[in-house]
Amino acid sequence: MNRVDAIHALEAALSAERERTGAKPLKGAAELRTVRQILAAHGGKASQIIAILQDLQAAYHYLPEPELRFISRELDVPLTRLYAIATFYKAFRLVPRGRHEISLCMGTACHVRGAVRVKDALERELGIGVGETTGDMRFSFETVRCLGCCGQAPVMMVDEELVSKLDHLTVGKALEKYK
Amino acid sequence: MKFVLNGKARTAAPGATVLDAARAAGIDIPAVCAHDALQPYGACRLCIVEVREKGKKRWRVVASCLYPVKEGLEVETGTERIRRLRRLLLELLLARSNGAPYVRELAAEYGVTKARFSGLDDDCILCGLCVRVCAEVVGANAIGFAQRGIGRKVDSPFGVDHSRCVACGACTFVCPTGAIQMEHVRALELRTAGGEHLCRYTLMGFLSDAVCALNYECSRCEIDQKFRAEAGTHPMLARAAKKPRKKARG
Repeated sequence: MNRVDAIHALEAALSAERERTGAKPLKGAAELRTVRQILAAHGGKASQIIAILQDLQAAYHYLPEPELRFISRELDVPLTRLYAIATFYKAFRLVPRGRHEISLCMGTACHVRGAVRVKDALERELGIGVGETTGDMRFSFETVRCLGCCGQAPVMMVDEELVSKLDHLTVGKALEKYK
Repeated sequence: MKFVLNGKARTAAPGATVLDAARAAGIDIPAVCAHDALQPYGACRLCIVEVREKGKKRWRVVASCLYPVKEGLEVETGTERIRRLRRLLLELLLARSNGAPYVRELAAEYGVTKARFSGLDDDCILCGLCVRVCAEVVGANAIGFAQRGIGRKVDSPFGVDHSRCVACGACTFVCPTGAIQMEHVRALELRTAGGEHLCRYTLMGFLSDAVCALNYECSRCEIDQKFRAEAGTHPMLARAAKKPRKKARG
């Protein structure tokens, strides 16, 4: 089997894997390239496995099972090893995450200024609980301890952006610009 | 290589670990995670001994399964300090898996019957024998560790994937506590998939329905019983024992 055939065979295996596991084909062939680009960027070295997984997670917001299987085959690293790494580090996630990540501060200052009410309002607005992701993959919602800007309380981070002086009545509006 | 073991001068082959050398000299050191067919791992820490390197003053506590014998090394295997540390380790093992007879017996040898710590009721003591036998001897890599800290456990990828498992049972064979067991349904599923199954006696090649005269009942397979009787071990491990063991690191 030459190199091109081998790639076709892997692609076929990958799409069969997606079908079997019910994973959503995100953009078809584009994703395949992404995984390959990531592998190529790290020289296809098994020793770079954590950096590869970090890049994969940056691209997908989580570690999709078919891609992990693909990497396992390409780098000749057992899937058990990848699974062990992915579950050992808290930074890796195996469940899909939304396009935007909300981190609501529950620190002392925010708590005093109504973070609990904001949390309830967010849960109602998004229709999900803490640690969950909306069905349309738009938001994932987490609470955190202290974001370190108590003067702006109550605050939350949406992706890399700080949203400050929240209240439970207007927090829904603040999310409108994130698509 | 000359060294001193419990006050007596001994010699050891270069590259031998302290555990190897002590066992060769007939001194018993408890070791749960060490296995002749596997690389040293150092997970259980029960094989700790005190060592003093040549020209040094301080006695250090090291895991003997990983520590190579050095010229002029002094080793003490059963000092009060070592016994005290082992008792603590055994208490921790007891706290984790109180129900496992293997752990209870091991602890009782050191007079430990009850742990001061409240714990889990998990037969698995995370010695990693099953994971390593699957990777190093069988080469299937069907199981591995997952999670960490208190949640650490032996698991298959994604908790469900058993496609790499060849149902050889080597993991159940090496497991000291019986925490890992064959699941009859899964074994059956593997055996009957696509009219052929994986046979561990043909070194895990595929065996078609037509070839197996014994109709897949591996537990009643004559070859299996014969192999066990002659080799006295699991076929996979008998195969590994023939291969020369790699030298210990260090």
